[in-house]
Amino acid sequence: MRREVAWRVFAKEYSDSDFQFSEGGERSPSYVVTPLGAKINRLFVVGVITDIDNVGSDDQPMWRARLSDPTGVYVLSAGLYQPEAARTLSGIEPPTFAAVMGKTRVYSPEEGTLYLSIRPEIVSVANDAVRNYWTLECCRSLRTRLDAVAEAFKMDPLTKEGLVALGHSERIADGIVRAVDHYGTVDLDRYRLMLVDALKYLLPESRPAPPEEKDEEEESELDEYVLELIGKLDTDGKGADWETLLEASKKDGVQKDDLEQTVNSLLDNGRAYEPVIGKLKRI
Amino acid sequence: MEKENIAPHVKDITRALGNKVSEANIERELNSYLTVYRVPLGTAKRSIVKKHGGNPSLLSLGAQKTIVDLTPNEFSVDLLARVVSVNEREIEVEGVSKTILYGIFGDSTGTVPFTAWEADAMDVEKGDVVKIQNAYTKEFRGEVQLNLGNRTSVEKESPDALPPYVPPERPATSVELGDLRGGMSNVSVVGRIISIESREVNVEGQKKTVFSGLIGDSTGKAQFSAWADFELREGDVAKIDGGYSKTWRGMPQLGFDQRANVEILKDTDFPSAEDIMSPVRRWIEEIAERGGAVDATVRGILIDVKEGSGLIFRCPECNRVLRKGTCRIHGEVDGTPDLRVKAVIDDGSAALTAILGKDITEGLLGKSLKDCMDTAKEAMSHEVIRDELADLLVAQPVELRGNVTSDDYGLMMISESAEVLEIDVQEEAQKLLSDLEE
Repeated sequence: MRREVAWRVFAKEYSDSDFQFSEGGERSPSYVVTPLGAKINRLFVVGVITDIDNVGSDDQPMWRARLSDPTGVYVLSAGLYQPEAARTLSGIEPPTFAAVMGKTRVYSPEEGTLYLSIRPEIVSVANDAVRNYWTLECCRSLRTRLDAVAEAFKMDPLTKEGLVALGHSERIADGIVRAVDHYGTVDLDRYRLMLVDALKYLLPESRPAPPEEKDEEEESELDEYVLELIGKLDTDGKGADWETLLEASKKDGVQKDDLEQTVNSLLDNGRAYEPVIGKLKRI
Repeated sequence: MEKENIAPHVKDITRALGNKVSEANIERELNSYLTVYRVPLGTAKRSIVKKHGGNPSLLSLGAQKTIVDLTPNEFSVDLLARVVSVNEREIEVEGVSKTILYGIFGDSTGTVPFTAWEADAMDVEKGDVVKIQNAYTKEFRGEVQLNLGNRTSVEKESPDALPPYVPPERPATSVELGDLRGGMSNVSVVGRIISIESREVNVEGQKKTVFSGLIGDSTGKAQFSAWADFELREGDVAKIDGGYSKTWRGMPQLGFDQRANVEILKDTDFPSAEDIMSPVRRWIEEIAERGGAVDATVRGILIDVKEGSGLIFRCPECNRVLRKGTCRIHGEVDGTPDLRVKAVIDDGSAALTAILGKDITEGLLGKSLKDCMDTAKEAMSHEVIRDELADLLVAQPVELRGNVTSDDYGLMMISESAEVLEIDVQEEAQKLLSDLEE
């Protein structure tokens, strides 16, 4: 029996799924098929565990955890039959980066409603780097399937063999044919956007800028420089003109942003003031 | 099936049932099996006999088939075929030595290897045309094989009952080494001989020299065995026409003998041995489809450090890993300590189990076997090393290189090297993003 591959799929794509099937036969595995044709029995996910609760009893704990990735949230639940995972979960204090390998778990209280979660086999504490690499792998997997599904939509009739002939693997082709059969034509742009967002998440220039921590010495140097410049430009005693200050500091290589920031801090610290709007004076 | 063709089978069934059921009934039933349910004749006959409480082995008339139509596990097969080759072999059955015959039958559709378990009942020579009744088929090494047992009858027919056997003149199929799979015949490959050495082997009592080594092209590498001396040397680019492949130790292997045509090419453009040996990353799924690979490089996440990893003890007699100080064969023994990792590597396309030996494990841990023994002693548990390995390796991207074998349990790599990768995620993400925006 072949080991089931561990899919790298974003939480959002997984939770968009409402289709489960089994090839029949007592011991054949069951799969959750996502709208983009990932045919999942096992997953590997990395993210941040944001909360953990024992929804069982003290004697028979059942740990339920939420793990968040750049697109959404995975729910994990581990109890008696996942002793190793349960033990690790019970010792985790959120927020913690965690890597989880597990199987799909489907709870269907009524026809047509599926609640998807993960039954973890292995939970291990991870870090930022592991999460980022996982996110990259998810992006790659998503990209491959987006392309394949786009091709599938154009095929008439859509067949597994046809997709394989285009160079996709059996595994991908089979999943996509089943997905299209169940979900019909899904909105690919939504997932393309998700892919772009996830990639940007990995790139520093797209991240919300963390508060800049400047070298304190450098900062005070700039303070002194601006203060001196204000004094020098205040030729008529009515204060230095903002525009002139901007131009002069620009010549010395000071960025407008930095100048504004410095002036603001000088004003805040009470080392300079605005006699009229647009003029600055040293105290 | 025509009515006149079905009649002997109806008679056969009726006879097997001791004439308890009327021929008319049997005929109706057989017709329904064949035309309504479209069950093969042999199966239909057995099924009817069983249904009426009879013994299907009393059937004597099989469905006459052509060789190309044979499938494994058929009962009562009838064939009209020419003996392409026949040989004797001594075997031992429950301590008694016995002669059997083996060889090849052919007809206009193909050839099939056979084994005749009652040599005395079969007096045939190469070239004879024989009518075989009530043989059966099995699968052996992925091929259909015909078996002639004690209920099989073999009659010689006139030699012109079949056209003389001419080995088919087929052009060899060109195969790249990366696409080589077990069980291919008449293949043509072009590859560079990476290594070659000769050794003496014993084949059915005869000494033979076999030349074996590693051959490669830009798509992959394979072990080869040449059963004749083609004067191949290390570094040669050889074109081998008429080779075959089989699965050996879970990997496809190239074989060729004096029937093959081997030519040394002066191909200066062919990848150098160095290029061939430089690692090329493969998807695990691809390796699984090919049924293993020689010297493959894979990259994936190490998702599990399995039980039996870390500090282990081996039986000094047989090297088996001990369980609770006990060898499966030699009982309680004083084990020899060793280090290894049994890991599951998953690259998102498929997974394999990798075995990392002592040297690699020491390198990954940054400590020696002796250090590990000390750690374990202090912690009073051997498991502590496995835990350490798990903390270090689980969820990490790794690159492994080694031979990958394939069996019913999946893929297994005996790793020659393993490293934890440091991947510049930002750079990769940027690449993917610009690729998307194009």
